[in-house]
Amino acid sequence: MIQLLPVLLIVLAIGCAYWWVKRETQRRYELFDSDSTIEVPKKVTLDEQIRISKKELETVFDAITEAICIIDKKFTIIRVNKSYAALVGQPIKKLLGKHCYQTLWKRDSICSDCPASGTFLSGEVVVRKGIRVKEADENKFFEMKTYPVSDETGRVVHVIEFTREVTDEKRISEQLIRSEKLASIGIMTAGIAHEMNNPLSGISGMAVNLLEMPQKYGLNERGIERVRAILDSSARATSIMRDLLYLSRKADSTSVLISINSLIIKAVEVIHYPGMSEIHQRFNFEKSLPLIHCDPAKIEQVIINVISNAVQSILEKKQICLQNNISFSGLLLISTQLQDEENILITISDNGTGIPEANRSRIFDPFFSTRPPGQGTGLGLSISHKIIEEHGGRIFFDCIDDVTVFSIVLPIERKGYY
Amino acid sequence: MVKANDRLPYRILVVDDEKAIRMMLVDFLENRYELDTADTGENALEMLKQKKYDLVISDINMPGMSGPELLKVVRKEYKGTKTALITAYNIDEYITIAKEYEISNIIPKTVPFNFAELDSLIYGLLTGDIFGLDRYLLDDGMMMEKHVIKSSRQAREIRENIISLFVDKFGTCGDMKLILDEIITNAIYHAPLRDDGTEKYQEFTDIDLEPQEYIYVECGYDREKYAVSVTDLQGRLTKDTVLYKIDRQITGEGLLDDSGRGLHMSRLFADRLIINIAPNRRTEVILINYFANKYRGYKPLYINEL
Repeated sequence: MIQLLPVLLIVLAIGCAYWWVKRETQRRYELFDSDSTIEVPKKVTLDEQIRISKKELETVFDAITEAICIIDKKFTIIRVNKSYAALVGQPIKKLLGKHCYQTLWKRDSICSDCPASGTFLSGEVVVRKGIRVKEADENKFFEMKTYPVSDETGRVVHVIEFTREVTDEKRISEQLIRSEKLASIGIMTAGIAHEMNNPLSGISGMAVNLLEMPQKYGLNERGIERVRAILDSSARATSIMRDLLYLSRKADSTSVLISINSLIIKAVEVIHYPGMSEIHQRFNFEKSLPLIHCDPAKIEQVIINVISNAVQSILEKKQICLQNNISFSGLLLISTQLQDEENILITISDNGTGIPEANRSRIFDPFFSTRPPGQGTGLGLSISHKIIEEHGGRIFFDCIDDVTVFSIVLPIERKGYY
Repeated sequence: MVKANDRLPYRILVVDDEKAIRMMLVDFLENRYELDTADTGENALEMLKQKKYDLVISDINMPGMSGPELLKVVRKEYKGTKTALITAYNIDEYITIAKEYEISNIIPKTVPFNFAELDSLIYGLLTGDIFGLDRYLLDDGMMMEKHVIKSSRQAREIRENIISLFVDKFGTCGDMKLILDEIITNAIYHAPLRDDGTEKYQEFTDIDLEPQEYIYVECGYDREKYAVSVTDLQGRLTKDTVLYKIDRQITGEGLLDDSGRGLHMSRLFADRLIINIAPNRRTEVILINYFANKYRGYKPLYINEL
């Protein structure tokens, strides 16, 4: 008997397993057969059913991220979703019964280019793009689609308005268009700048000859003065051309290990503006900053550029304060620190005139200059941007009240394609 | 220093498709030389058949025959005639062409045009009088120092001495510090060769040169520039080697490549690099920095090999 015990146990185990598998299979079949994942109570009243489906519809309605608003023929709002309420900035309850032109567009009468009135008239879907709303200082852009809701006779009784804010999209696409344009202008100007070298060399060279040997050409003092002006102008044209060439030039540069702190000190030494000595300069250098790989001449150019801008801004502010009898003391703060394990951070702060809101998106654009013609080519910051980009770093700025902070992040190891 | 307005018995042909450039060069050069001009390479060849020219200066990019092609014909058919190219474009891009067409001198069209440089280059080409830093200074030029180096220890001292001289006088030495070291190192360690052509001295070791070996270092300045020259009496460097090294550096490894780095860095960091060679007799490397970015444009190629 004892010898049979294990056998009996095995038979028992198999029996149990068989029973369990069978039960599970059956249960799964039952699940399939019942054909409903949502439990519906067996006996529901019609009212309840309506309430449930209404709830479902509302959930869907509110889940849509586009603002939806349903209006009647008098442009009175009869339904809105949560996104619409969020867009207007008022609770749904307050919006019902009002006119759509009041709530979102803040008008007293129907908008002149109202797409909904088009849909009421034609019974067709109308799309309206590029709707601009001025809010405080900035423009907001919207897109609208209106869909007809007809009764049994085919008359449009309601219109559903879909409204979407496209301000960000529009800004991004504008930026893309602008950078595309700039790229093609860049290619073109590189060619022109190259070709201009030849005639400019001729112009300036002949001017030099005229100045060296005026008697040979029968040139008097008045003539000499004018030739001198020609020479100055051609030198200026050349420096603009050189900047332009730089912007679109093929990379031919060098990578050297340098101390960014001493490079900054060297850069500050070459900047000279009248009145600059009165500006309070503070250096806040991280002493243990590692040496970094970079093209020192180019990085120096960037530093000089940014500091020059800061100094000019402080001097301008000082001029303004002087005119208005306001006391002002200029402050230029340059600091370096370790940003993280791979990057260093240079910040250059000034308390000058600041950058007006309207200019902020454009200050890295070529030829964008706030200085009078002749005092700046508007290429400085765009070249700086390109240089830092080539080094695999970042340059950006923050304006807090009248304090402008330019930050330059540079990788310690050679990362860019400069 | 070249004296102005001394007439010299040489005839020069200037070839450029740009009238302003032809006029500019003629106005400057006609005080001292006989001058003719041509607006294309083809016309230049016609003129060469009529008269003997001592020097042909040609633009690189011209409609029809290009400058390098013209000069190739000139060198083949008119053996005694010297040649130089001139261009407004980036000369770095022509180094390969220079190698292929055996061109030693490419003059940049800077703004304003650097007449003094053209003057000393042409004078050197025509007379063969190329050595000595004073030849490259203007009439107000001053020679500051002249040293003879006999050992590696002395080399270090003299280098420091010259750098501090520049810094004291001009407030800067540009990147001379870096490249002067490279050039002197080249002269001490790489110029002296054994009979079998291998280098005699090991870099980074303390050495004393033999009695017949020595190096000159000169420095000076004028109203436009300051300059230093390093001369060795071996003359081992050849035009081909220089071109090979500069080209390899421009197209290749950059600063990481150890061979020829000195020449490459000199060309990169100094405003001018001039190399004068009398084969097996003398090599002179001249480095020049201009004050205040005086001449805007690309850097030239100047190799004078006698």
